[in-house]
Amino acid sequence: MASEAQFDAALDLLRRLSPLKVSNNLNAITTLVPDLTEDLLSSVDQPLTSARCKKTGRDYLLCDYNRDGDSYRSPWSNEFDPPLDDATYPSDRVRKMEVEANTAFDVYRQMYYEGGTGSVYLWDLDDGFAGVVLLKKSGGKEAGWDSIHVFEVDERRGSGRTCHYKLTSTVILHLGRENEAVGSLKLAGSMTRQVEADLVVDNVGGQGKDGGHVCNIGRLVEDMEGKMRNMLQEVYFGKAKDVVGDLRSVAPLTDINQERQAQRDVISSMGK
Amino acid sequence: MTSAVDIASSFIQGAPPGELQEVVKDIKTLTSDDDPALIAKLNPAFERYNEEQMVTVKLPGSSDYVLISKHNKLSSASSRYYDTQTSTSFEFDHTSSKASAAQSYTHETQHSTLIQSILKSLAAHFADHYPPTTASAYTVCATPDDDNQVAVLLSTTKASPKNFLSGRWRSVFLYDPSTGTLGGEIKIDVHYYEDGNVALTTSKKIDSVSVGSGADGAAIVRKIAAIENQYQEEVNRAFVGMNETSFKQLRRQLPVTRQKVEWEKVKGYSLGSDLKGEAKR
Repeated sequence: MASEAQFDAALDLLRRLSPLKVSNNLNAITTLVPDLTEDLLSSVDQPLTSARCKKTGRDYLLCDYNRDGDSYRSPWSNEFDPPLDDATYPSDRVRKMEVEANTAFDVYRQMYYEGGTGSVYLWDLDDGFAGVVLLKKSGGKEAGWDSIHVFEVDERRGSGRTCHYKLTSTVILHLGRENEAVGSLKLAGSMTRQVEADLVVDNVGGQGKDGGHVCNIGRLVEDMEGKMRNMLQEVYFGKAKDVVGDLRSVAPLTDINQERQAQRDVISSMGK
Repeated sequence: MTSAVDIASSFIQGAPPGELQEVVKDIKTLTSDDDPALIAKLNPAFERYNEEQMVTVKLPGSSDYVLISKHNKLSSASSRYYDTQTSTSFEFDHTSSKASAAQSYTHETQHSTLIQSILKSLAAHFADHYPPTTASAYTVCATPDDDNQVAVLLSTTKASPKNFLSGRWRSVFLYDPSTGTLGGEIKIDVHYYEDGNVALTTSKKIDSVSVGSGADGAAIVRKIAAIENQYQEEVNRAFVGMNETSFKQLRRQLPVTRQKVEWEKVKGYSLGSDLKGEAKR
């Protein structure tokens, strides 16, 4: 049996080793400690891949949440590919919400990503339901964005009109440049954030409260993605660039020090 | 099946600047059940890592850093290195990353005059561009084995675990006195790991840039400074370019309408004609 300490060490290691080699490193860790495989696969986010729905011709994204054995469920047709005899499907109520959420996030994707691929998968829980919103956009070989928003809605927890929502969001962002002047440059990685909230569930559309859930999840994801986009921008183009400047200064430090000394002299002479 | 030593060695190879000990701790936790002697078998991986990363270390009783590389190694079979700036040789324990047994040492080479000349100019270049707040070092030495070229090495590491940040700059230049040309490679690594894992990795090869045969230390260091500065400016430009083009094209900050999605009315939008056409693409 793998211990909790080993699981934590595996996560710490994956947080340190190259984010471009997550899947290799995951394989290596689970070769060392095979018992960690299932826990790690469900808690480590990797760049998303897509498949084409045979029934509708539309692309959908693949993840652990729409997988059953070697088959994946299309959110558009609700069918598994390759077909399964005894697959688990969402309940009728949750599937209806899933269809609604896919329609809503299709609009969201168009408005914010102006392209790309998206999929929403929901599943039943004892006290409510849970789901994942996936969004993917590629900008050629040199850029890619993957959003993975996993949420849980606890319908028993809350006060009368409200329900408890919990959202864990990961964005995987990779950027790169490869040319004569700069050589090879890769700026890649992922960030994860969590939020919990008690939200009022209004009646929206034909599905009443369930329509309200889709709106609440939509707003939660939209706010979180907006915040994360700002954070990523700050880390990728602010912090990373600053560290390069901390390592080496383009401007001669003697000049900079002289300037600072001159400034100090001016300030101290003004104080006199 | 890959062995535990191979796997652990690959983890060591991938350790970000200044985070080797944390990676080793994780390896120990992951493997302790089966193989407590594993770390002892990883010395070749530590050696390779320290030399490739050109890690810097303080000599006992000194406040200055010296760097570790395959170029300033005394012999391939030993773990003794030398530093031309301080004229010392020292033992380096690759597993514990500690230097010891420093003693006076002068390396026999046909390039000793040139090396001294480069060292003199390099000290000023180093002070001008490598901030004293980082663990940085430089050295100049003849290439081992053939003694044909002169290696000019600069390395600096910043590790700030409190801010979940680390970074390393490495410059390797090889000057060939017989052709008067300079070649080499510059590499930058930056790691940010607060609630995430973001890494910058760059590498730029420099192919036989002419300095002129018979060039002195000042001319060689001037060329090195120019190459380093130009490269750093290119990297800064790449940051700006990626922010302003690639990043913006992935996801907008707000929709074209400058307004957030009205989720209650989303069904209305989706029945609109253009979205339906797009969805089939």
